[in-house]
Amino acid sequence: MINLQNIKISSVTKKLLTGITGLSLVLFLVAHLIGNLTLFAGPEVFNAYAQFLHHFMHGMFIRLAEFGLFSFFVIHIWSAVSVSLSKRKARPSRYAVEGNAGGKSKKSLHSLNMIISGSIILLFVLVHLNHFKFADHEAVGTMTLANGVEVQNVYRLVVGSFQGNFGYVLFYMLAMGVLCSHLMHGVWSAVQSLGLARPSTLPYLHIGGMAVAIALAVGFFLLPLLIFMMRGTFDPNAMPDPVHHASLLLNRLIPG
Amino acid sequence: MSAKKTLDAKIPPGPVTEKWTQHKFNMKLVNPANKRKHTVIVVGTGLAGASAAASLGELGYNVLNFCIQDSPRRAHSVAAQGGINAAKNYQNDGDSVYRLFYDTVKGGDFRAREANVHRLAEVSVSIIDQCVAQGVPFAREYGGMLSNRSFGGAQVSRTFYARGQTGQQLLLGAYGALMRQVEEGKVKLFPRREMLDLVKVNDVARGIICRNLVTGELERYAADAVLLCTGGYSTVFYLSTNAVNCNATAAWRCYKRGAYFANPCFTQIHPTCIPRFGETQSKLTLMSESLRNDGRVWVPKRKGDDRKPSEIPETERDYFLEAKYPAFGNLVPRDIASRNAQEVCQEGRGVGPTGYAVYLDFGEAIQRLGKDVIAQRYGNLFAMYHEITGDDPYETPMMIYPAPHYTMGGLWVDYNLMTTVNGLFALGEANFSDHGANRLGASALMQGLADGYFVIPYTLGNYLATTKLDPVTTESPEFDAVAAEVQAGVDKLMSIKGKTTADEIHRELGNIMIDEVGMSRHEKGLNRALEEIPRIREKFWNDLCIPGDAKDYNKELEKAGRVADFLELGELMARDALERKESCGGHFRLESQDSEGEAKRDDENFTHVAAWRFRGEDKVPERCVEALEYENVKPSQRSYK
Amino acid sequence: MNVNLRIWRQPGPNAPGRLVDYSLDEIDPSQSFLEMLDKLNEKLIHEGQEPVAFESDCREGICGNCGLVINGIAHGPKGACTTCEVRMRQFNSGDTITVEPFRAKAFPLIKDLVVNRSAFDRIMSKGGFVAVNTGSAQDANLIPIHKDDAERAMDAAACIGCGACVAACPNASASLFVGAKVSQFTWLPQGQVERHTRVLKMVKQMDSEGFGDCSNHAECEAACPKEISISNIGRMRREYTKAVFAAV
Repeated sequence: MINLQNIKISSVTKKLLTGITGLSLVLFLVAHLIGNLTLFAGPEVFNAYAQFLHHFMHGMFIRLAEFGLFSFFVIHIWSAVSVSLSKRKARPSRYAVEGNAGGKSKKSLHSLNMIISGSIILLFVLVHLNHFKFADHEAVGTMTLANGVEVQNVYRLVVGSFQGNFGYVLFYMLAMGVLCSHLMHGVWSAVQSLGLARPSTLPYLHIGGMAVAIALAVGFFLLPLLIFMMRGTFDPNAMPDPVHHASLLLNRLIPG
Repeated sequence: MSAKKTLDAKIPPGPVTEKWTQHKFNMKLVNPANKRKHTVIVVGTGLAGASAAASLGELGYNVLNFCIQDSPRRAHSVAAQGGINAAKNYQNDGDSVYRLFYDTVKGGDFRAREANVHRLAEVSVSIIDQCVAQGVPFAREYGGMLSNRSFGGAQVSRTFYARGQTGQQLLLGAYGALMRQVEEGKVKLFPRREMLDLVKVNDVARGIICRNLVTGELERYAADAVLLCTGGYSTVFYLSTNAVNCNATAAWRCYKRGAYFANPCFTQIHPTCIPRFGETQSKLTLMSESLRNDGRVWVPKRKGDDRKPSEIPETERDYFLEAKYPAFGNLVPRDIASRNAQEVCQEGRGVGPTGYAVYLDFGEAIQRLGKDVIAQRYGNLFAMYHEITGDDPYETPMMIYPAPHYTMGGLWVDYNLMTTVNGLFALGEANFSDHGANRLGASALMQGLADGYFVIPYTLGNYLATTKLDPVTTESPEFDAVAAEVQAGVDKLMSIKGKTTADEIHRELGNIMIDEVGMSRHEKGLNRALEEIPRIREKFWNDLCIPGDAKDYNKELEKAGRVADFLELGELMARDALERKESCGGHFRLESQDSEGEAKRDDENFTHVAAWRFRGEDKVPERCVEALEYENVKPSQRSYK
Repeated sequence: MNVNLRIWRQPGPNAPGRLVDYSLDEIDPSQSFLEMLDKLNEKLIHEGQEPVAFESDCREGICGNCGLVINGIAHGPKGACTTCEVRMRQFNSGDTITVEPFRAKAFPLIKDLVVNRSAFDRIMSKGGFVAVNTGSAQDANLIPIHKDDAERAMDAAACIGCGACVAACPNASASLFVGAKVSQFTWLPQGQVERHTRVLKMVKQMDSEGFGDCSNHAECEAACPKEISISNIGRMRREYTKAVFAAV
């Protein structure tokens, strides 16, 4: 008879949770990156996109997503901290010499320092949210879209933030470096944690995971850099362009 | 012949094919409710020990199971590579229980007990069923059926195997069953315990004294019967294919408590081992005998020819096995291949740094079949050889030399596996019964499991059902007395405080043993051994050095105790070899060979088991005999020409 | 050749331990690492010191008894072998070699380089078997098993229980050991009946022994003398998930 007592949060369950939440957060990053790319299309598209997110399903979507993200973050952090603590407990006396067996080992600075990279990412997320999500929106100002709708000028906030201060850009770039390190091990590891890796797919999985990590990090890190460098393209004070085809498209998408 | 006392093997009456069936029916049973009132000690957790302990636990007995390793799974059975025989006839190639029986009796050179061998062949079939049901991943054919191979020159394919890990996988099956009983509470496990003595109460085996190898404490355990499953004694030679902790101590201490030691001189030397390279070597590594299927054995024709093998032309090579045995060539049985290798080396034609090696050359096979085919067949063995020796067998011939591998001798047991001490049983390699003077390849695993799974559960039940046993406690005077003796023994070892390590003395003993009581023996050499061994023993007791404390984890003390026993067992082996003035199986007496240099049995005088009775320290033990009768397989002289 | 050794010496589980320096010369490169330690021990004994306690038995890589961490790598730098299969020719004369025991809370130290790995036995007792009593088996060929399945089961069954996976794991996790055993029986029809209970019970026992959690470093596979794949860990997790859903 299977006893439910056996199933309480075991080490395997913990890994499953870390894996599911981790992979979900990676998917969020992919969506986030794609959303960010609308910056290239100019202020009206980006601002409209922001407006869209906030009003989709009468605002339910963003609340659900935020709740989901928040809880996944909490679970991910809890399980990660728990794994990290177990590590200390499981090996009270450390090796004098630490080696790497090479070969098929995937032990690396990335995999060994997940808790550190994770902590830095958490810090970054707090700064990031504080800066953008909880920004003083009155100070940011508004913009009127081509269809006459007045929206928050998030574009100005974003572009202005990065153009104002190279230190801030540098902070982002470093944070994305750390994110890259976290995902170099995290992506493939999440798939393995869910038991989805097969002997035949294992080697590709590891490489694929690293590719995703690099792609995401490069994507996120290029944006602040480009904004900082290409002042001509990114103008915080840019105004809507009524004949811009994107604005016309948005007219239909965004509820008045 | 100095036979004074004959032994009764209690072989059941009737035709050999009916004996076991009838006996199983005739034996008394222990009522299920009574089984839990009996405690059984099982010493050893190899194939015999683990299978016995698990099976007895399943039946409801309380089992106390001891091993010297940290886990039961480490017993040396794990090292068996080749396979396990069973008369399944899955290949439809004419195998049968009777043929396996016949082959084993013949292979044992007519020095095994027919009734035991037939029983072994009968239960071999159930062993495979049992192991498969346990989840042992035997090799399979594409149709999903079990795969077999022919092994050790057998004419039928009856060997089941799991890659090169058959022993390991079979042991894991038995170990799993054992651990299940541990979980059920029927078996209590005592790892890191070394049995140092047997306790008899009213002349019946009722307990053991163990040394806890971690704390050094002596511990006492009482039971209604004691099962010795402690393996063989090849490490008496120091260098052997056995694990370095294999020892004869438990069996030897039982010998001193009245269990007769049978055929100690019957040892098996395996021909294809990696030769020794120097003084500090701790063990010899066995390579599968299958290498002889394609490899050709040779040495230079000229003495002391120290050219590289590639520089020695064909005409100056002596393919001595092919020349001497044209029919079987390189595939002659183990003992013949071994002996011939030793002979050419003793002539001074051996190769390698020590001069004690012969070439096993794959050059011709690589030319004929291609490197790929050879790599497919022997790739892992070649890699292992390359790793150990640093030589690449694809480029240069392998070097091999025979090494002690298995001991057919052991404690004498009757048909029920009981020794001459009531209540003391011996199973597996620790007993002597089934292989006669020579064991066939892939039969050791079979015997260990047969004894443990399918023989002892019946015969032990019969013993317990028919024997009146008074309760005993470990506080009884008998336990006190034996424990005091064991303590005195430990103290004596610790108090020598000399300068020589146990290993150094063991090596010295090993050299004498392999030289004079090894592959071929003669009166002069055996007498030399009988003179030398007491000398080494004296050195041991005067100059042994054991650092550290007896009440601690102390490897040197462990070794010393074992070497002390080997120093006595070695002498008994020499004595047994001297008395057996015939050649048979693994025992080759130079004085007893035919005109062509082949082993010559002396059936008239030696168709018997020699079982030695201990008569006290410094007294020559008594040689007792059990006459062997061959009602089914008529003794014939082996010929492989 | 000669080497400098730094060996972990600890008289007992509760005594403090430290690395002690030794130098040893006249080493034959074809000696095994353990024979080199034998030689050191003989030298120590002759000098009136206590020899280094370490374990070994078969000395051919199958019993799983030996296990040392050599220069920070379980079973030494060569890979795919046990400590007893490491040969001195893998080192250079003059090398300094650090030798430490397998370190894990679940493998308490006994003395010097000897640790207690009974935790593995206790995990096995929870489900490392097919519960079939002696004598109750049907004919061995009644259930055909696909050759590939038998081979995969054998791949997993090749585990020798040495504990190098735990020693090598930065988290001291036993996932590879448990994963291999779970996998072996998952591939075989004989293992199906107890499939769910086995994985749940074995994982529970693994956790209660104080092993760390797995972080997918895969260092275990690299250190495993039998090259057991971490895909077995993945399979254990799949089996575990299935078992959980079967239970609720």
